[in-house]
Amino acid sequence: MSSDQDHLKDTDTEARFEFKKEENSAFETEKGLTEETVRLISEDKNEPEWMLERRLRALEQYQQMPMPTDWPGQPDLSEVDIDEIVPYIRPDIETRGGAENWEDLPEEIQDTFDKLGIPEAEKNALSGVGAQYESEIVYQNMQERWEEKGVIFCDMDRAVQEHEDLVKEHFMTKCVPPSDNKFAALHGAIWSGGSFVYIPEDTTVDMPVQAYFRMNSEGMGQFEHTLIIAEDNSEVHYIEGCSAPKYSAFNLHSGGVEVFVGENAHVQYSTVQNWSKNTYNLNTKRAICEADGTMEWVSGSMGSKATMLYPSTVLKGPGSTDNHITIAFAGEGQNIDTGAKVYHNAPDTKSTIESKSISKDGGRTNYRGLVHISDGAEASSTSVECDALMFDNESTSDTMPYMEIQESKVDVAHEATVGKIGDEDVFYLQSRGLDDDDAKQMIVAGFIEPITEELPIEYAVELNRLIELEMEGSLG
Amino acid sequence: MSTQVHANLTEEQVTQISEQLGEPAWLLETRLDALDALDDLNMPDVIRTPGRNWTNLDALDYETLVDPLEWEQEKDRVDAEGVEVLSWSEALADHGDLIEDHFGSIVDPQRDFLTALSTALFSAGTVVYVPEGVDAEDVKIRTTMNSRSLFNYTLVVAEESSSVTILERQHSGDEQDDSQYYSGIVEVAAGENASVQYGALQNLSKETYNFSVKRGHADTYATLDWIEGNIGSRLTKTSVETRLLGDSSESRIVGAFFGHEDQHFDLASRVWHEAEHTVADLVTRGTLDDSARSVYEGVQDVGRGAWDTSSYQRENTLMLSDESEADASPKLIINNHDTEASHSATVGQVDEQDLFYMTSRGVDPERAKNMLVEGFFVPVFEEVAVDELREDLDELIVERLQ
Repeated sequence: MSSDQDHLKDTDTEARFEFKKEENSAFETEKGLTEETVRLISEDKNEPEWMLERRLRALEQYQQMPMPTDWPGQPDLSEVDIDEIVPYIRPDIETRGGAENWEDLPEEIQDTFDKLGIPEAEKNALSGVGAQYESEIVYQNMQERWEEKGVIFCDMDRAVQEHEDLVKEHFMTKCVPPSDNKFAALHGAIWSGGSFVYIPEDTTVDMPVQAYFRMNSEGMGQFEHTLIIAEDNSEVHYIEGCSAPKYSAFNLHSGGVEVFVGENAHVQYSTVQNWSKNTYNLNTKRAICEADGTMEWVSGSMGSKATMLYPSTVLKGPGSTDNHITIAFAGEGQNIDTGAKVYHNAPDTKSTIESKSISKDGGRTNYRGLVHISDGAEASSTSVECDALMFDNESTSDTMPYMEIQESKVDVAHEATVGKIGDEDVFYLQSRGLDDDDAKQMIVAGFIEPITEELPIEYAVELNRLIELEMEGSLG
Repeated sequence: MSTQVHANLTEEQVTQISEQLGEPAWLLETRLDALDALDDLNMPDVIRTPGRNWTNLDALDYETLVDPLEWEQEKDRVDAEGVEVLSWSEALADHGDLIEDHFGSIVDPQRDFLTALSTALFSAGTVVYVPEGVDAEDVKIRTTMNSRSLFNYTLVVAEESSSVTILERQHSGDEQDDSQYYSGIVEVAAGENASVQYGALQNLSKETYNFSVKRGHADTYATLDWIEGNIGSRLTKTSVETRLLGDSSESRIVGAFFGHEDQHFDLASRVWHEAEHTVADLVTRGTLDDSARSVYEGVQDVGRGAWDTSSYQRENTLMLSDESEADASPKLIINNHDTEASHSATVGQVDEQDLFYMTSRGVDPERAKNMLVEGFFVPVFEEVAVDELREDLDELIVERLQ
C-alpha cells in the first residue's frame, strides 16, 4: 500500500460511518406518502410539468402494486411502512444543486464528508465527486478538463432544469419504467437527488467519477436517481458509496439507476454499500447495451438490514458484453438478497456473473439471478458462478438461479459451490504462526479477491477494512 | 382457478371406485377428504419469472380429460422371490395395517390440486412389499393405458435391511383420438439399511398429459435411488423427491429425457438433507428437438441439523433444434455450514469439433450426430442398475433419433 492510503488507516472505519449529526433541514415533508407530498416535492424543486406528471403516474402505479411477499427466502418487508418514513428532507444550505467547494458547506456537513474521507479521495483518485446529504446533492465538482470536453456530471435535479431534453427522453422511460416493481414505482413518485452523467462520443474519462450518499436523519427515506448516458466509443467508471448512522427506527433506501451504454462504449458501475443495519435497501438498477458495448457491475453489499438488489443488463446490440461481480456479506440479523439479471437479445452477446457471498452469526445471503437468451441471440454465451462461504451453523446461504434458453446455438454454464471455511486452511495458516482470527480473515480476503481486484485501490482497501470490522472478535 | 374440474365429480363416483376395490373405511375417507379439499387447493407450483410462466397447467381442460369411472389398463407384474407385488385389492386384503401405516404418509394427499385429484380417483396401481432382510431380484411393473384417463398409485414398503429394484414402465395401448390424462403417485418407504432403486420409463402417447409425483423417505443407512426416463407424452409435470431422514442415508436421482415435436417436460429433482452424514447426487441429462421445451428445477435443501452433508447436482441439456427451449433453475438451500455442496447446469449444442472429428473418420454427418447424442446419455446409463431399463431407454433414444 502506498502512502496515498494512509488517510484510510488513520481513521477508525467504524467511527467514520457511525457518527450522527444533528438534523438540520430547510424543508421536510410530513411522514407518509400522498399525492400532496409528491406535489410538494415537485414544487419545492420547481420542476417542469412533465416531471410532476411522471411522478403522479408512478404514485398511482405504486398504490396499485402489491408488496413482493412470495419470493422464497426473501427478506421480511412487513416493517417497511411507507407511511412511517419521511420521504424528503432538504438540508439547510444556500446552494441548490451542490456547492463547488467543500468550504462553502455548513460545518457539520463538511465534517461528515471529511470523516468519510471523500474530499481526500477526490484529490487523489477521482475525476469528479458528488455528495448527497439526505435528499439532495450538497456538493458536486468535476475537474475542468472533463468539462471542456463536454462531459456533464451534475445532480439530477439540476439536470432536469438544464438538460431537460436528455432527461425527458431517458428518465424512467425505456430502461427502468415505474411499472417494473413496487419500489421502482415508489422511487418514480418521490425520487430526489442523485447524479446525472453524460459522456460525449469518443471520450474516455480515465479516472473514476464518484457519488456518495449519506442518510443522517432517523426514519427517512432516500430515493436518489442516477442516470448515466455514455455515447458511442466513450468510457467511464462510476462509483457509488452509501452509508448512514444506525437508529432504532428503520430507514429506507430505494435508489434507481439507469445506464445507457452506446455502441462500443464501456461503463463500469461500482457500489460499496455500507448502510446501517436498520436500513432497507431496495434498489432497481438497469443498463441497456448497444452493439459492442460493455457494461460492468461491481457490487459489494456489506450493510443494511435487508437488501434486495439485482442489477440487470439488457444486451440489445450484437457483440455487447455484460460482466457482473458481486459480493454479499451478511452478519447477525441481515438478509442480503442479491443477484443479477441479464437478457441476451442479440447475437454474439456475452455475459459473465461471478457472485461471492459470506454469511455468519445467523446472517442470510441469497443469490437470485436470471439469465434469458432470446430466440435469435445466436452464438451467445453466458457463465454464472456462485460461491458461498459459511462461518457457522446459524447462517443460511441460498442459491436460486433461473436460466431461460430459447436459442440453441449458445453456450450456457452455471456453477455453484457452498462450503464452510476450511479447517485445513486455517490449520495451515496457524502452523505458520497466524492466530485463528487472522487466519480466517486472510482466507476471507482471498475468497473475495476477484472483487477487490476490480475496484480502485482506495475502495479495495475500504472493502477489506469493512470485512475485517465485521469479523472482528466474532469468530468462533 | 381450479373449480371447473370437479363440477362433474361426485362423492358417489369416489365411493363407487372405493367399493369396487373393496377398500376399508379409512381409505374411502382419505379419498373423500381429498375430493373435498379440491376447492381450496392450488395447481402444483410452477416457476415464474418476470413476465413468464415456465409451465401453464391452468390451461388444461380437465373436464374432457377426467373420466373417473371409465378406466382401462393392462398390468403386467413380474415379481421376484420373497417380494410381494400386489394389486390394491389383494394388498388391502393381506396387509391392511401396513398400508394404513404408510399410505399418504410420504406424499401428502392434499399437497396440491392434481395430487388430491389423483388420491380421490385412483383405481389402478400396485403395492410392493419387501419384508425384512429380503434381498430381491428385479420387480417389473408394466402399465398399458387404454382409457381416456388413468389414475395410478404405487406404494413401496421396503423393510429393514431389505433390497429391491423396481422397474416401472408406462405406455399407451390403442391410439386414442382425443387427449388423455395419466396421473401417477409413487410413495417409497425405505426402512433402516434398506436399498431401493426405483426406475420409471414413461413413454405415453403424444396426446397424453402426464402428472406424476414420486417421493420417498430414507431411514438410517438406507439408500434410495431413482431413475426417471421421460420420452413420451405431450406435457409432463413430474417431481422426484427424497427426504433423507436417517443418519448416513443416501439418494441418487438420475433423469433422462428426450423431447421432440411440441412436447413440454417440466421436471424436478428435489432432495432434503434432514440428518447427519447424508449424501445426495442429482444427475439429469436431456435432449430437445423440434419445438420441444424443457423446464428443470433441482433443489438441494440442507437442514439446520444436517451436519456433514455432501450434495451434488448436475444438469445438462443438448439442443438439437433452434425452435427448442430449455429453462433451468438448480437451487441450493443451505442451512448448515458443515456442507459440501455443488451444482452445475449447462445448455449447448452438439460439439462442432466432435462432429468434425467423426466426419473426418468417414462417418456421415447424420450418423455422427446420432452417435454423439447417444453418447451424451452414457453418464446417465451408467447409473442404471437394471439392464432392461438401460436397454429400453437406449432403444427409445435411438428410435427417436431416426
